[in-house]
Amino acid sequence: MEPKARTTETRSNGTTSDGDEAVALESLQFTDEIHRLISAPSTDNASSFTALLELPAPQAVELLHSPESAKLIAAPAPNVEDIKGSFHFPSNTGLIERAARFSVFAGDSNNNNNKTGSAETTSNNSSQNPQKEVKSEPAETESCQPLVSDPTVEKRSIKRKDREKKVKGSTKKSKTAANESSEDAEKLPYVHVRARRGQATDSHSLAERARREKINARMKLLQELVPGCNKISGTALVLDEIINHVQSLQRQVEFLSMRLAAVNPRIDFNLDSIFTAESGSLMDGNFPSMVMPLMWPEVQVNGNRQQYQQQWHFDAIQQPIWQHCTRIK
Amino acid sequence: MSPHHLNPSSLKSRFTTRFLRALTNINAQNPISSSSPREILQRYRRIKVAADKSMAYSVRSRRTWSRAMRWKLRSRSWRQASSVRRLKITTTCHQAIMKKTAHERESKTTTGEEVGFGVQTDGLRELVPGGEAMDICNLLDETAHYIKCLTTQVQREQIAS
Repeated sequence: MEPKARTTETRSNGTTSDGDEAVALESLQFTDEIHRLISAPSTDNASSFTALLELPAPQAVELLHSPESAKLIAAPAPNVEDIKGSFHFPSNTGLIERAARFSVFAGDSNNNNNKTGSAETTSNNSSQNPQKEVKSEPAETESCQPLVSDPTVEKRSIKRKDREKKVKGSTKKSKTAANESSEDAEKLPYVHVRARRGQATDSHSLAERARREKINARMKLLQELVPGCNKISGTALVLDEIINHVQSLQRQVEFLSMRLAAVNPRIDFNLDSIFTAESGSLMDGNFPSMVMPLMWPEVQVNGNRQQYQQQWHFDAIQQPIWQHCTRIK
Repeated sequence: MSPHHLNPSSLKSRFTTRFLRALTNINAQNPISSSSPREILQRYRRIKVAADKSMAYSVRSRRTWSRAMRWKLRSRSWRQASSVRRLKITTTCHQAIMKKTAHERESKTTTGEEVGFGVQTDGLRELVPGGEAMDICNLLDETAHYIKCLTTQVQREQIAS
């Protein structure tokens, strides 16, 4: 249930961050917001993928646009061990993307502002940061700098490539998978699904996987509803069984209504007796008429169930009637 | 069946009350004197319609299949009332809706959505009322609810007969 909860959270946050993005691209708020975000209290685990997101996101920004500013961002991130990534993360990426975009527009001013902190932060980074991503970052900054040219769309694709490069460089395998999933989950803030090891991680397959899981959950529910489906493995057979069951239920309704049509006038509809007769015992006085019509629906419906020998609806229904008959006799 | 006291607003009780009311109405309308097959057939049809209707209405149209069934019943009654113009409108509307949803369904499947089971879902779509207009996810949901309601109906009819 956890991914679902996260999904709802991130969905709501994602929409708000998109709205924010559209609103303001102001230099004054740029660095302030990022600092505020990084210093904000956050997750449970440093090892959770959301915590890792704090690192790749600012580092991706840095790699793309201005190394100094991004390093400044990256520096406080490792210091903050508790990061509520799942909560702040979409807004973080939104603002970081905005920051990324903005830094291209006003690159000089930002670089100037952040140069003072850069020297200190690089040393801080190398000393404090246990994550491999930061170490691989200087190698990649040079390669990525010439890529900085156009806003928004290209940035996103570049970010993806960079993150994949970073991830390949990292040796922590579990975090690699988590990184990949988280990085791609960033693209769609409303899809928050954790990818497993060795599985494709682009947005389409993530969405497909979420769908598949939903479908499988519902198939399980159906299996519980339909008697005898638990033993069957394989969705096709289960679906066949479900179809059979629905067909037989519909036929039962038809037969029973036919029976009601035939038997109707003799029955006194007494609500209380019907409600108390929940347990399956039937009203008196109608057994001869009821036994006969009961035979032919049973024959016709049971003909459909050749494959299965399980005792089934009609059998359960038969028993109380026969009990009554025997009692009368 | 587990004998437990009924929740007054549960599906079972709602269906039971409606169904019994319908049956008494039918009984009152057509006092059966002879049991000729034709009359029985007529009554059977009416009772079946009454059962379906009472089930569909007691589900309160929160479910797609109940809405589809209600629509079907209503269109059938309109057809019987022999208002040609109304019939044309309803059928064209329905066809438009079906076309649109069929397009949606096709587009969904062609956008690379993985569908492991193709044939059976079509069978299921035929069975469940309103099933043509739904994707697999919702279809399975509706099927589960439909099965539950059908079993309720069967139990009640069994008791009533």
